[in-house]
Order: sequence, then C-alpha cells, then structure tokens
Amino acid sequence: MSEIIRTESVVKQFGSFRALDEVSVSIPRGSVYGLLGPNGAGKTTLIRIINRITAPDSGRVLFDGRPLAAGDVARIGYLPEERGLYKKMKVGEQVLYFAGLKGLSRHDATNRAREWFTRLGIEGWWNKKVEELSKGMAQKVQFVTTVMHGPELLIFDEPFSGFDPLNAEILKIEMLRLRDEGATIIFSTHNMASVEEVCTHITLINRGRAVVNGTLEEVRAQFGSVEERVVVRQSMSMNEIFIKAVSE
Amino acid sequence: MSKIGLVIQREYYERVRKRSFLITTLLTPLLMVALILAVGWMSTSGSSEAKIIEVVDASGLVAGKLESAGTITYRPSTRSLDEIRADHGDTWGALVVGADVLTRPDNVQLYTWSSSTLETEMAISRAISDILETEKLKTYDIENLDQILAAVRTSVQIKAFKEDEESGEVKESSSVLSMVLAYAFGFIMYMFVLLYGVQVMQGVIEEKNSKVLEVVVSSVRPFELMMGKILGIACVAVTQFVIWIAVLAVGGALAVNAFVPADLMAAAQGMSAGGMTPEMTAALGSAADPDAIAALGNLMDVDYLVKMLVVFVVYFVGGYLLYAAMFAAVGSAVDNIQDSQQFQLPVTLPIIFGLIGMISAMNDPNGAMAFWLSIIPFTSPMVMVARIPYGVPGWELALSIVILVATFVVIVWLAGKIYRVGIFMYGKKPSFKELAKWITYR
Repeated sequence: MSEIIRTESVVKQFGSFRALDEVSVSIPRGSVYGLLGPNGAGKTTLIRIINRITAPDSGRVLFDGRPLAAGDVARIGYLPEERGLYKKMKVGEQVLYFAGLKGLSRHDATNRAREWFTRLGIEGWWNKKVEELSKGMAQKVQFVTTVMHGPELLIFDEPFSGFDPLNAEILKIEMLRLRDEGATIIFSTHNMASVEEVCTHITLINRGRAVVNGTLEEVRAQFGSVEERVVVRQSMSMNEIFIKAVSE
Repeated sequence: MSKIGLVIQREYYERVRKRSFLITTLLTPLLMVALILAVGWMSTSGSSEAKIIEVVDASGLVAGKLESAGTITYRPSTRSLDEIRADHGDTWGALVVGADVLTRPDNVQLYTWSSSTLETEMAISRAISDILETEKLKTYDIENLDQILAAVRTSVQIKAFKEDEESGEVKESSSVLSMVLAYAFGFIMYMFVLLYGVQVMQGVIEEKNSKVLEVVVSSVRPFELMMGKILGIACVAVTQFVIWIAVLAVGGALAVNAFVPADLMAAAQGMSAGGMTPEMTAALGSAADPDAIAALGNLMDVDYLVKMLVVFVVYFVGGYLLYAAMFAAVGSAVDNIQDSQQFQLPVTLPIIFGLIGMISAMNDPNGAMAFWLSIIPFTSPMVMVARIPYGVPGWELALSIVILVATFVVIVWLAGKIYRVGIFMYGKKPSFKELAKWITYR
C-alpha cells in the first residue's frame, strides 16, 4: 500500500516548549488513520504541519512520495476541532468562498455544493446567514466546506463533537462513503469506541512523541492481553491501550 | 482567481454591501457641508438681536457722531442714567460717556439689562475711539482734514504668486485656499488611516474569535490572508474617497455656478487659462478680493487638482499599508477588542502625533519641522499631503515616498511574522517581549 503522507523526524518547538519531538508517521493511502493522544500532546500541531499551516523546525513531510508543497493543500480537506465560519456571511457564499480558496471554479463549486446540500438535507439554507444557524447546523455546513472539493486526504479533528447521535451517524456514513470512494482519512478523537469501529491504523502521541504506531492488530499484539482481569483472554480495549501507553 | 484575489474580493464585498457603508458614504459629505454651513451661519447671525443703546453723553462729543451699524442702534439720550434705569423700555443698554473722555478715555461705562458680549463691546469701543481720534486731530487745526483723512485711508490687498523653481512657471496662488486644502487633506488622511486601520484590526479579531482562521489558513498562507484583508479594506476606503470626491466636485461646480458672480468667474477662468493681466484686474476694480479670484482659478486648474489627488492617493496607500499592517499584528495578538487597547496605543500615538505635527507645521510649511515630519514615514502621510498645496520640491517628495515605501515593506514583513504566530495564540494576553519573540519563530 502506498503512502499518502509520511512525516520524517518532525520537530516543532514553541519557545522552550517542544510540541513535537522527532515524530515519524506513515499514513497509507485508503486507510482510516486514528491520531490519538491526551490533550496538549501535539496532535493539532502535527495536523497543522500536514496542512502547511505551520512549518516544522526540522524533519520533513512527504505527500504522495515527494516533499509537501503549497499546491497540495487543494488535495487536503481539514475539519478543525475549533469549528468556525464567517458569521455574517450567507451559507451558500461561504461554501463557494472556501471552495474557491481550494482552487475550485465557481461553476464547479456551485454544482457540487448543491449536490452536497441535497445529500445532507440542507437545501433550504443557501441564503441563510451562519449566525442564524444552530451549532449543529453550522457543523453540517462546515463539513460540506471540508469535503466538497473532493480531497484525497481528509483530516477530521473530533468530527462528532457537537452532533446529536442521529447527525453523528449521518456524518459517519458520509465519512465511510468517502473512504470507499478512495479518500484517506486522518481521524483525531478521544472517543475510543469510534476508533475501534472505523480506524485501520493508529498513532498515539504523548508529550510530543509518537509512542505507539501501527495497524489496529499490530497495536493490540504489541500491548498483549489482559489476563488478570478477565477469565476469557481478550485483547485490551483501545481505551485501555490509550491509558496504559500514556501512563508508561 | 488567485487566492489573495478571492480574499480581497470577500473583504471588499462584505463591507461595501453593508447598509452602513452606503449610509456613511452618502451622509458624511452632507454632514460636512451642513457643519460648514452651520458654523458660517452661527458666526454671521450670532448677534441677530437688535440692540438699542441709549447714549448719555456728558462730553457732547460722542453721542451725535455715533453711527448705528449692524445690529447696534445708538439713541442719544436726554435722560439721566437713573431715569433710564427706572424705565428702560426697549433699550438694550445705556452708554455713559464722561465729560472728560478726551483726556480720560477709560471714563466710559456700559450698563445692560441682559448679559453683554465681547463683540458688542469691541464694536462700541472702536466707534468711540474713531470719534475721539478725529476730535484730537482737529485740535491741530489742519485745513481740509476730512479730505486728507479720506485720502489717506488705505486697505492693502496682497496678491501672491508662486514661482515653480523647476519649470520656471509663475502662478497666482491663494494662501487661503492652500490653507483650507492643507487642513482638509491632512485631516482626511488622519481619519482614513485611523478609521480603516482599526477596521483591519477588528476584522482580524473577528476572524480569530469566530475560529474561522484555522479553516482559512489551511487553504491560504497567513501572509496572503493578512495582505488580502488589508488590500480589500484599502479598496473600500478608495471607493469611499472616490465617491466623496465625485460628490464634492459636482456639488462644488453647482455651488460655484449658483453663488459666484459672473465677472469673478471670468477673471478666475482667465487666470487659470493664462494668468491675470493687469487690465483684467483693473476692470474688476477693488471690489473683488484677489485671493478669492486666485482660489477660484486654482480650483479650476485641473492639473493642480489632479496632482494633489494623485499625491494624496499615493500617501494614503503608503500610510494606510504601514499602519494597517501594524493594526493587523495587534489584532492577531489579542482575543478581543478590550485587550487590544494596550497594543493600540503605540500604533495610534504616531498617527495622532502626525495630525498635531501637521497643524503646527502649517505655520511654516517649508520649515525644518515640516520638512522632517514629512520625511519620517510615520508622520509623512499626514504632513506631506498638507504641505502639497503650498508646493513641495520634487526631491523631497521622492525621498519621502521612497522612505515610506521602504518602511512599509519592513513593517508589513514584521507584522506578517507576528500575525502568523498570533492568530493561533488564545487565552493569555502576550507581552511586548513575547511579540518580539514571535518575529523570530520559524
């Protein structure tokens, strides 16, 4: 399986604080890649580096086998944890603006936006201002801005937070559909149940270091099993692996 | 379209389409005209109330010669002050002139039943002084005194010419017009740089607050976003300025046609076409104020106006970019408007200093202070545009512009560094030291 993203010994320092310390991850094409770790571990910094929002102090990032370049951001879709839209702008204009920034022509953007709006059942919102929408509604609009330029790499940072269970389910179905259509997904979350459900690979970051790396099976094998607590031997849950790795 | 183009477009349309933009753009010139008219009206009609003053004159020299003028009517009185006090009727005041007023000019009293004004008192004392001076002259027994006095009365009117050292061209110039334009340009510059600079800062804070920045900078480089915002808002300012100039030009042309007498117009047109001939001046007689003719002539000289507008726009763009970049850096460093006060001060202070410098530089538009303030880039936008109506040597203009451009390139670069780090800093208010440190981040 070829890699879509590969980071090599990425270091990022803020003053005296080392946010990322020699982080190397390899994200295979077509995977759903879980990026886990406690708050403040450096996940968002790594995601920002992959998005070219900030540059690493040393190390490098390869996109599709060559160094990540400015033009590559058009092939990435990013849903940050801190959601944000222009409050005074109309939904339709806003979606077209972000698509334009990703390099889509106005005509293509309009067609695709209409398509996505229909799919998510939000056709009527085109001329609404964002400030008139509820938080959950705004999140749907934000999801459309993330995916509508058809990126090969999707980065979702806590995508389900703020959604009711029904809408979270709709979102998950859409995510998996995008994966089936060939997109690679980087998925950062604290929700271990959803990691076990959808992820194929994970990296666990703690205090700026990648402490656990690999496919779900490899990680489970690496951490062995829990003997003392249960009669029937079973793999550690992701939750347990998370806690064990972080406390080590 | 390029990304920065999209950002500029968004910033521009978001602002220009707002109803408040339309209202302020159309209302501001109207308000300015209304303000000027109101001030003019107040200064002429301030003392519209008729004042009847009874004059109790013990000297017998003054009362008969006081000529009623303006709102003041003098009425020589046969009553004593006490009698007037007992029944003052419609009189506004009583003027008591002592018998020895010729030797003791301070022996004059004014009694009023409502408060007096400085303007009225000065008019009265001027009138009495004139009478007493004439009386004193009479004691020298000069023949034909009245004719002599009429013949010596002179009112000097200066006509100013400005020689352009480079082209050798001589132009009649109006110092009143130069002064008015200088203040107008300097003040508009100050207002624009401050108003639109603060808009940039507010825009950055708003983006930061709504957390939309992270999405945007995953598509656009922070520097492009910052420049896009600054340039978009600059376009808004230029749009507003162009509308104002258009309104002023049309309104001014209408006003000139409606209110300026035809002979004055002809003289002014002649002047702007090829200078005033002595015959034309003679034909007009002394009725027309030469400064008014020169002012009108200057205003109809399209070259003169275009040159000033071009310089204004150049300095506006330079000064605005310089300050807007600093405002953007301030906006990026804080989470809300309240926190921005501390950082705003070092940015607004030089702008205010520029305005004050402009006003004092106008006392001597080509002096050392005016020169230095129009070379230092932080004050030059305000001071230089104010000096332009008085004429500025080409090399000074060129030097000033080069320094301004060089400074804004450096400032924009530094601001971009701070901005790039600042937009992701939430929660705590950074110190100046930290801002400086951000510049060195990679």
